[in-house]
Amino acid sequence: MKKVKVLILRTAGTNCDYETQAAFELCGGFVERIHINALIEKKDKIFEYDILACPGGFSYGDDIASGKILSNEVKNKLGDKVKKFALSGKPIIGICNGFQVFVKMGLLPDPNIFEQISTLSYNDSDKFECRWVYLKTEKRINGESNCIWTKKLPDIVSLPVAHGEGKFIPNDKKLLDALNKNNQIVFRYTSKDGGKPEYPLNPNGSVEQIAAVSNIKGNVFGLMPHPERYVFTLQHPAREGFDSEYGWGKVIFQNAVDFVK
Amino acid sequence: MFKIEILMKKGYKNSHGEHILSDICGIGIKNITKVEYSPLYVIDGDISSVETETIAAELLSDKITETYTVNSCSQTNCGQSLPSKPAINNSMNCIVEVWYKKGVTDTVSGSVVKAVKDLGISKKIEVKTGHKYYLHGKISQTILNKIVIKLLANTLIQEYKIK
Repeated sequence: MKKVKVLILRTAGTNCDYETQAAFELCGGFVERIHINALIEKKDKIFEYDILACPGGFSYGDDIASGKILSNEVKNKLGDKVKKFALSGKPIIGICNGFQVFVKMGLLPDPNIFEQISTLSYNDSDKFECRWVYLKTEKRINGESNCIWTKKLPDIVSLPVAHGEGKFIPNDKKLLDALNKNNQIVFRYTSKDGGKPEYPLNPNGSVEQIAAVSNIKGNVFGLMPHPERYVFTLQHPAREGFDSEYGWGKVIFQNAVDFVK
Repeated sequence: MFKIEILMKKGYKNSHGEHILSDICGIGIKNITKVEYSPLYVIDGDISSVETETIAAELLSDKITETYTVNSCSQTNCGQSLPSKPAINNSMNCIVEVWYKKGVTDTVSGSVVKAVKDLGISKKIEVKTGHKYYLHGKISQTILNKIVIKLLANTLIQEYKIK
């Protein structure tokens, strides 16, 4: 069995790295949390890993804007390596602050272009929104998700969000149409029964209720909710899950580990 | 020395401005009809206008939702030396700028200095950050002072000026 190596990128203000590590390890991954300065010193070390994760947190205090300083740093100092990693087809996940980093450096939604063409802006409420939300899994490829991270999920899953800047905004209508056409929208905020959500079920006012996107290939995945906070049923307020022990967040990490194997 | 103002592009929600407007209504002041918020940055040092434009475009503003203005300025008009008393204002609209007092640590400035280096601009610079509020509506000086002191500035560590 192949040993699946996971690189979790961390820096000042990252605070979900341990939980993300625990989620990957639960799924059989071998994880190393590496500080960005260490990776900048040995840039090609990134290619020793099978999966790259940029976890949640408040990198550099969310100064200027959430994820902005880390996106600037990664793009200017590791940009060509990260782009090569993404285009090789290896799984990449950006969770919450990691999603903000990927969007603002242009890794999502299109690592080929590698320019910022969408953003995650301030929540409509101008408040930090921390709650469980319902997500509709987009399944347009033979009833399954286009993204390798979100296979085998039910139509509606519940995950927690915790962010102040999660309002997804594409640059223009043309991009929005392309994201829909190319099946790059992975999750949308929804009501419990799959209807259009009002605030607070859409916690930030995202365009078309977008909560997660991937690249066209489906290996680079970014989402505002925190799957690492729902790997056990005990983490859910109603103790729900896909069996007596595990939560739906685990499926997301398991998908990536199984994909590499 | 350059002063950079970050502005929301037309068509995008100024969430923080709307939040402030809601807070103003919450303290019983009904005459303000709209509030717009802009972050401010002053960059001082051996830096060119072209480099400052790069910093504003690549780092301080969001390419999708925000735009910016860059103005060359001096110590007195960059918010570095504020008058001790605000100017009397009776107009329909007013602008409030809030800056840290001298000697107060500006934590965001440290992050901006680090990020400017990451952009490849290695010149030594100093950065100050501030806040600008555009208040639309007819209010007296007394009410305006109440808004500023209660909602916009912590006068223990911040100073403000009203235009």
